[in-house]
Amino acid sequence: MSKIKVVHYINQFFANIGGEEKADYPVTLRKGEVVGPGMAFASSFGDEAEIIATIVCGDSYFNENIDKTKAEILSLVKDLSPDVFVAGPAFNAGRYGVACATLAAAVQEELGIPSVTGMYEENPGADMFKDKVYIISTKNNAAGMRDAVKKIVPLALKLAKGEKIGASIEEGYMPGGRRVNFFEEKRGSERAVEMLIKKLEDEKFITEFPMPDFDRVEPNPAVLDLAHTKVALVTSGGIVPKGNPDHIESSSASHYGEYDITGVDDLTESTYETAHGGYDPVYANEDADRVLPVDVLRDMEREGVIGSLHNKFYTTTGNGTAVASAKAFAAEFAAKLTEDGVGAVILTST
Amino acid sequence: MRLEMGHIYIKDIQFSEKSKIEDGTLYVSKEDLKEVAIEDEKLKSVSFDIARPGESVRITPVKDVIEPRVKVSGNGGVFPGVISKVDTVGSGRTYALKGMAVVTAGKIVGFQEGIIDMSGPGADYTPFSKLCNLVMVCEPADDIKPHDYEAAVRFAGFRIAAYIGELARQTTPNDIKVYETCTFKEGLEKYPGLPRVAYVQMLQSQGLLHDTYVYGVDAKKILPTILSPTETMDGAIVSGNCVSACDKNPTYVHQNNPVVEDLFAQHGKKLNFVCQIITNENVYLADKMRSSDWTAKLCKMLDLDGVIVSQEGFGNPDTDLIMNCKKIEAEGIKTVIITDEYAGRDGKSQSLADADAAADAVVTGGNANEVIILPKMEKVIGTLDYVTKIAGASEDTLHEDGSLEVELQVITGATNETGFNKLSAR
Amino acid sequence: MKDKFIVVTNNPLVLNELGAGHNTVYREISYEEILKEIRDLIHKGHKLLSHPLSGSVKPKETPYKSVLISSECGKLDVYSLKLIEQAIEACDKFEDKSSKFSKQVWEDFQLVDFELIKGAIASTAYI
Repeated sequence: MSKIKVVHYINQFFANIGGEEKADYPVTLRKGEVVGPGMAFASSFGDEAEIIATIVCGDSYFNENIDKTKAEILSLVKDLSPDVFVAGPAFNAGRYGVACATLAAAVQEELGIPSVTGMYEENPGADMFKDKVYIISTKNNAAGMRDAVKKIVPLALKLAKGEKIGASIEEGYMPGGRRVNFFEEKRGSERAVEMLIKKLEDEKFITEFPMPDFDRVEPNPAVLDLAHTKVALVTSGGIVPKGNPDHIESSSASHYGEYDITGVDDLTESTYETAHGGYDPVYANEDADRVLPVDVLRDMEREGVIGSLHNKFYTTTGNGTAVASAKAFAAEFAAKLTEDGVGAVILTST
Repeated sequence: MRLEMGHIYIKDIQFSEKSKIEDGTLYVSKEDLKEVAIEDEKLKSVSFDIARPGESVRITPVKDVIEPRVKVSGNGGVFPGVISKVDTVGSGRTYALKGMAVVTAGKIVGFQEGIIDMSGPGADYTPFSKLCNLVMVCEPADDIKPHDYEAAVRFAGFRIAAYIGELARQTTPNDIKVYETCTFKEGLEKYPGLPRVAYVQMLQSQGLLHDTYVYGVDAKKILPTILSPTETMDGAIVSGNCVSACDKNPTYVHQNNPVVEDLFAQHGKKLNFVCQIITNENVYLADKMRSSDWTAKLCKMLDLDGVIVSQEGFGNPDTDLIMNCKKIEAEGIKTVIITDEYAGRDGKSQSLADADAAADAVVTGGNANEVIILPKMEKVIGTLDYVTKIAGASEDTLHEDGSLEVELQVITGATNETGFNKLSAR
Repeated sequence: MKDKFIVVTNNPLVLNELGAGHNTVYREISYEEILKEIRDLIHKGHKLLSHPLSGSVKPKETPYKSVLISSECGKLDVYSLKLIEQAIEACDKFEDKSSKFSKQVWEDFQLVDFELIKGAIASTAYI
């Protein structure tokens, strides 16, 4: 039997080209080459499969030209026509994770070639794509490479052979909203008793069926006296001063911005823009008030509808940003808002 | 209460002239059995058959599965309030015929479900494929109403099980296991450091073909109450349920309730198994509120630290399960629930019809919508007429080679919600 | 005395047996459609009194569904709305098989649905 053909995707860092300074490294096909983590894969594949090519691409290069780069890589993979496509693993590298997951999902969906990638569960790529492609759960840094390879290889082989894929807990992929049956070692009642004992002893236990996400926020009581309230604007729509001075990422933001709007009556094309990469920026760049309505609030301030508009606004891009990061940003600037005596916030999205 | 369970292992069942148990083989006379079964004029005829593990046999449509037992000492008799007088059971000595069951089959309604395959892939999913089964197919008298037919088959099954159990009265059991529960005060004194745990069992009680009986009382008319788990082991709860094959509790599951067994296994070690609380799953919403309120109240009055809640059935009971879990957790009592899932054939739909963040410890019996191919069996006990129409079956149910493409929900006991099986899902 | 409840049903047996003595909304529509009809009534302020997924016969396997709602029409009851929406959502998980059964089986479905609603009505005697 001929060997299973594998195409492997990695970024500039794992290809030993360089770090952030080389993140604009363009798409490069290395036919017949096994690069970086590919070595570990190749030895684990043994005689069953071989990496026929490695595709390398810088993280910035990919994320800043997603559509174009994706198309370019898809066409390379199509020509190589492998039995399975493996991307990463990306661990906790956000943009690398998004690239791996985007590509794995696209190769699978558009080319019909089974794909698998791996990353840390908090990597934004995981949340975005775990319901579309198998993503093996890894540690949060490259020290988990061995363990990641150990899980990715058997899954890749099964996918290539068209074998039945077991439940997430058996294969090591992240549950993507698709429930799969399997046989446990102990019967349900015994598992229930064990779970209860752990719960009683305040030990960690893992539910077999996580309830749907209930991250609901109770609405605050209505603001009774708006005319004497300081109102602030906050957005996940990526509005920033022209030139994006703090380099807020177009997706998977790692930070937020705080900008002074003292004396600003209107956001104009020459003064503000959006950093957001997830929607058509034309209208926001033309008039950023469409996302962050400073102009209208200034009117209300003058008319006495609101007490005042807070002189700072907070902004980030919601696009692909991990929920955990978004929560952390908000916790930080919410404290600042409270300290500044803000009584109400208008939060705009896109 | 102290119950001694004597186990008599049955390795085979044979038809013979005379009914008896000898060297681990149950011999039964068809004539004797017929006489016992047909006692009820609502049944026209009953035929008996034997299905052994590994045989190419399919039993369908299954109604109930019952383990034959006999009460040799102590209060009451088998199936109190149903076959025997209503004396409180759960103490003394009871013998059970292990490794076998009486299976009742018969088309009570046109959409009757329930398959037990004795071999092949389907056998992995039903716990009853591992038993030597005495199957009784009951034909109803003409023009009988489904209610009466259901009751007739139910009682016939219990009578046969009791009749067979009686054959074991003089037998020496292979082993005897002792189960003992304490009174409230004894428990506090004996196990002062152990968490107080109860088992909350939700009983199917929606109405016709969806009923459960406790000492003969229709469970939809009960208020939540306390049982010694030994009462359950002694046959206090029986099934009158014909629908939802995969996640209904046949009488066998009540008699051998795995939560009861596994809590007993930790009794006095990691926990103090205080009692069993039974509640129902009525269709009227106010009944649900009352029953869940009462269940939580009982848990609190018993000073419990933890409970396991098991469910029976699909849809409507999801609401009871979540109500119970939420209210018991709200009393500060740690709760684990056992359920199964209907996540669609592709596994992508929402598994339960209700949900709450309080249900943070869930054990699942698997996705009942998952599809399985059941190969053709050489012999069918019962009738395949309705298999093409049973729950979960689709147009493609019967393939040309005689195999069936069905959802797990048609297989008796496949996704049992008392944790009877190893099947799970992630 | 006026009933506290309305029977919403697509089951002809329920109409025949209960139609004369009780407030009944009868529609010749599908299982899912009757649930949607009930949802609309809940939006108007009626409360659910019986569970919309009563019975272990799966949605769309049985074509029949009868549900009790309050006669009284008040403020929107959010819990009722949640239950009915979850029930409608659950329909999608099952294939429509009701058309594959013979007339005899349809009668069985009607009977079971009728018995379940009768049980619920018996419970309305209590507050």
